[in-house]
Amino acid sequence: MNAYGEDSNAPHGRHGPGDGPDPAPSPGPARGGIAALSAPCRVVAALVLAVVAVAACVHLGMVFLHVAPSNTVSKQHAQAIDDWIYPEFEQNWKLFAPNPLQQNIAVQVRAEVGTADGGTRTTGWYDLSAEDGRAIEGNPVPSHTQQNELRRAWDLYGATHDGDNRPVGLRGALAEQYLRRLVVLRLDRSRAAGAGGVVERVQVRCRITDVPPPEWSGEKARGAPVYRLLPWWTVPADEARGGVR
Amino acid sequence: MNRLAPSVSRGIGRVTEAALGPHQSAVIRIGFSVTWLLFLLREFPHRQELYGPDGPWSRPLAQQLISDNGAFTALMWFGGRFWFETVYALAVLVSLLLALGWRTRTMSVLFMVGVLSLQNRSVFVGDGGDNVLHLMSIYLVFTRCGQVWSLDARRAARVRAARARGERMPDRAGPVLWGVLGLFLAAVTAAGRLEGEWFVPALLWTVWLGQALWWAVGRWARSAQPRLLLDVVADVVHNGALLVIMAEACLIYATAGWYKIQGSRWQDGTAVHYPLHLDYFSPWPALAGLLSASGTLVMIVTYGTVLVQVAFPFALFNRRVKNVLLAAMMAEHAVIAVVLGLPFFSLAMIATDAVFLPTSFLRRLGRWASRARARLSRRGGRAPVVDPRAPEDTEPAHVGFPA
Repeated sequence: MNAYGEDSNAPHGRHGPGDGPDPAPSPGPARGGIAALSAPCRVVAALVLAVVAVAACVHLGMVFLHVAPSNTVSKQHAQAIDDWIYPEFEQNWKLFAPNPLQQNIAVQVRAEVGTADGGTRTTGWYDLSAEDGRAIEGNPVPSHTQQNELRRAWDLYGATHDGDNRPVGLRGALAEQYLRRLVVLRLDRSRAAGAGGVVERVQVRCRITDVPPPEWSGEKARGAPVYRLLPWWTVPADEARGGVR
Repeated sequence: MNRLAPSVSRGIGRVTEAALGPHQSAVIRIGFSVTWLLFLLREFPHRQELYGPDGPWSRPLAQQLISDNGAFTALMWFGGRFWFETVYALAVLVSLLLALGWRTRTMSVLFMVGVLSLQNRSVFVGDGGDNVLHLMSIYLVFTRCGQVWSLDARRAARVRAARARGERMPDRAGPVLWGVLGLFLAAVTAAGRLEGEWFVPALLWTVWLGQALWWAVGRWARSAQPRLLLDVVADVVHNGALLVIMAEACLIYATAGWYKIQGSRWQDGTAVHYPLHLDYFSPWPALAGLLSASGTLVMIVTYGTVLVQVAFPFALFNRRVKNVLLAAMMAEHAVIAVVLGLPFFSLAMIATDAVFLPTSFLRRLGRWASRARARLSRRGGRAPVVDPRAPEDTEPAHVGFPA
């Protein structure tokens, strides 16, 4: 196996004896690429060269149209571009662009807990993003669980729901379950249910605070944080302990 | 037309006679595999939450999304904790072996399988760094990235030396690895687990069959021609992939830069202030405060970032300008690693940048590394490991990038 890997050694040996496990006698140090080949082999090599060149150009063209703003060509060939790009070549390089995010978005959750004595109580708000922030502070290698998981779960929810919190498409339904499972996991870690209690319902909200403009800019900071409150979600019984612990 | 023809034929000669940029392809191989290895080790305590069957993005959720988008992930082939742990452990092992350059082509395929399996299983936990690794792990499969700085290169040198003495060094590990992986691939295919898009499964089978062909031709071909042909094919594919990798890097910078130009904050020179004050990207608030204390400094960094990103693709036409911008970009990514708390994103970007490093610099790096290794092994009481022909000294003068 590994024929390719095997031969990937210093170029001097490539046509010589370094190649296969037991190759034929060395053809000598002849190098010269396509020029060293016999006519039929040369045809095959030329064909391969053409295919590779075309494939590379088409691929780069498709990637370009995928990352470029929507334009005449990409609108005309939207289907072909998507077919080529998705799922494995999807990409997004609008890194902090066109404008960097200028708001701190904190995801918070509270729970309705069924207590051991048969009653219910509602917990206070847990600021999960603040927990993430504390885990990131002073941490040279923040984990994806601290930096991306909740942040992107919320982004996904926002991107797949309308203003009335109605899910849009398959991803909307998935995003809701994902966010619910995630906050239940986090509540479980904080032991929000208390001894003998069970989390029965959860409610998520987010607090959006503008990052204050730099002092030297002379811009005025905007006022109080804005909240977005989601409806209460019922937690299925088998999910209440949060899966991974 | 008269001048065009010879230069076209010279170009065809170049891309068919050698896998260009052996040092550049080796350094990105090491860069990407080490980045992914460190990431996997860092997330080891969190692996269940991120990618495990009972994580918040549970197996049923992943199943629904994957049956919709057709992405490749070996994690969905079987359920349960055991398979997950196996895949994760193998992903770690394969990253290490790819960095070392052991059976490079096979490891690059398995590396891609590991990266895609974990990332496609949980697409919503990644960031730009994951995106870079995702693409590059696919592109690496097409390259001959183990020509230098690899165990493969060392083994090939030994085989050559043995042959010069008239001895034979039979290869046992290769056929065994090929057989085991082929059996597994066949079993998974027969069981109908290789669903989704055709691209990755087709790639797996193509490489597997290609290796069989390579081995068979090396062993049984009567004339040298078939082997020379396969070699040319491998070189052409490598060169195409290297072009794609470099162009992809340019697209990343161009996109990042040109979109920024449209943003009001990048225009008014305050953009850099904002990420420094996002709770999710400020592990060192005091440092961030220090960096954004001066409006002039923030403005210079803001404009400088856009300038470098937009200019980079064009700078490739001038070697000296390119090297200056490359150094600036690597430095900026190193700063981002610390200040914004994005070490793996930054490492992946630095590894991408490394494809543009000049050959002379990489050779110096190689010599420096082998001297350091020799010194280390002397101190460890062992005899210094000196290859009779260190890989970096076996390069013919014309191999490598002009820049």
